[in-house]
Amino acid sequence: MPKLKIGKYKESDSMSNLICQNYPALLVLSRFEMKLGFKDKSIGEVCHDNNVDTKTFLAIINLLLCDDVNHNCSNHSLFAPSLILYLHNSHDYFVNYRLPDIREKLKNALTQDLKDLNKAVLYYFDEYVSEVRKHMSYEEKTVFPYVRSLIEGRKKIRYNIGIFIKQHNQIEAKLTEFKNIMIKYYETESTNEIDNVLFDIFNCENDLALHNSVEDKLFVPAIMELELKKPDSAL
Amino acid sequence: MNLHLKIIVAESSVIIRTGIVSVLQQLNLNNAGISEIEDPERLRNLLNRQKYNILIINPVMLGFFSLQQIKKDSANNEMKCIALQNSLIDNAVLKNYDEVISLYDSVENVREKINNLITISESATNNESLTAREKEIIVCVIKGMTNKQIADELCLSTHTVVSHRRNIAAKLQIHSTSGLTIFAIVNKLVELDEIKNCQQR
Repeated sequence: MPKLKIGKYKESDSMSNLICQNYPALLVLSRFEMKLGFKDKSIGEVCHDNNVDTKTFLAIINLLLCDDVNHNCSNHSLFAPSLILYLHNSHDYFVNYRLPDIREKLKNALTQDLKDLNKAVLYYFDEYVSEVRKHMSYEEKTVFPYVRSLIEGRKKIRYNIGIFIKQHNQIEAKLTEFKNIMIKYYETESTNEIDNVLFDIFNCENDLALHNSVEDKLFVPAIMELELKKPDSAL
Repeated sequence: MNLHLKIIVAESSVIIRTGIVSVLQQLNLNNAGISEIEDPERLRNLLNRQKYNILIINPVMLGFFSLQQIKKDSANNEMKCIALQNSLIDNAVLKNYDEVISLYDSVENVREKINNLITISESATNNESLTAREKEIIVCVIKGMTNKQIADELCLSTHTVVSHRRNIAAKLQIHSTSGLTIFAIVNKLVELDEIKNCQQR
């Protein structure tokens, strides 16, 4: 029986306890490309073995678990390359795995004889996915290259993180609306398939909200700090 | 009516704040989203970005910011403000608030006070059934018409169309055209072939 955890996770805590007590943390591991099978190793050791910055890893874990950013320690000196890796893999997960998977399940769960309605439902979903794709591809094509240039100390891609802050919207909102519409208006037998796809949507909504809060609460402050450093002294 | 209720608790003492949140959770307010915040500066930033239905705040914490100012900055006149009273406070200050919760209120007291506030704001804004005009407008919207085109078709001003659309969004909690399409098909306001954007697929 693992010890009950009080407070935030630290470098010396056991990685397997972290996962067993908080299974959503698995998603964080896979986004950092960390391998499973860590025996009794601590969080710090597993991060080290996988070349992941421990502080950044813990910041995300603690954001996931307590929705809290530690304001006291200078948590903003997070390691930007690790954050970018995390966010990039997270984008890949949503766009190439999670959302297509939900669409497939959705298609199979829809009642056969509601043809017109089903078309409209899938249309909504596809439109949503393409918005997410656009949102994420902007970050991949504009924001990340800018941040990489900052890290390498060659400033001057003409951009700043303020532009990102201004236009960064909550991409899970429209998925929430979709879910509400399905629940309110889609008249159907309550089947295992429809339950399953709705559970998936509830989960995906939470994952997207966490993804956004990593961007807003960890990534943005880290980049603001990078911007303050002179180009030639940056990392 | 189960509108998702968003409540924010602003109080600098973590013990009091957590206590209030725990009382709110006991009220089972249809999975209300409850946020906490500890300082006035961050509160202002947050209110600029997000809309809350209810703000529960210790008036002392506001310091030199006034409640009116906070409300105005957040551009959210609908927000109900509850004073969280844990010391003697001038009545002139308290009368700016919609309600006062004292540290010694029981769970039932708090429930009643919050229920009263929600009912007021609901009856003011909400009535789910659509008018005939609103249904007509939904049909036009999902056919892909612009506000101007809708106005011409129904002999209204663009301004009126916009305000109808706002009411529709508030009543149905649906903000996108493709969401309205689903609504309209379910409620038999249209047949699919009448709709442009789905036809193209």
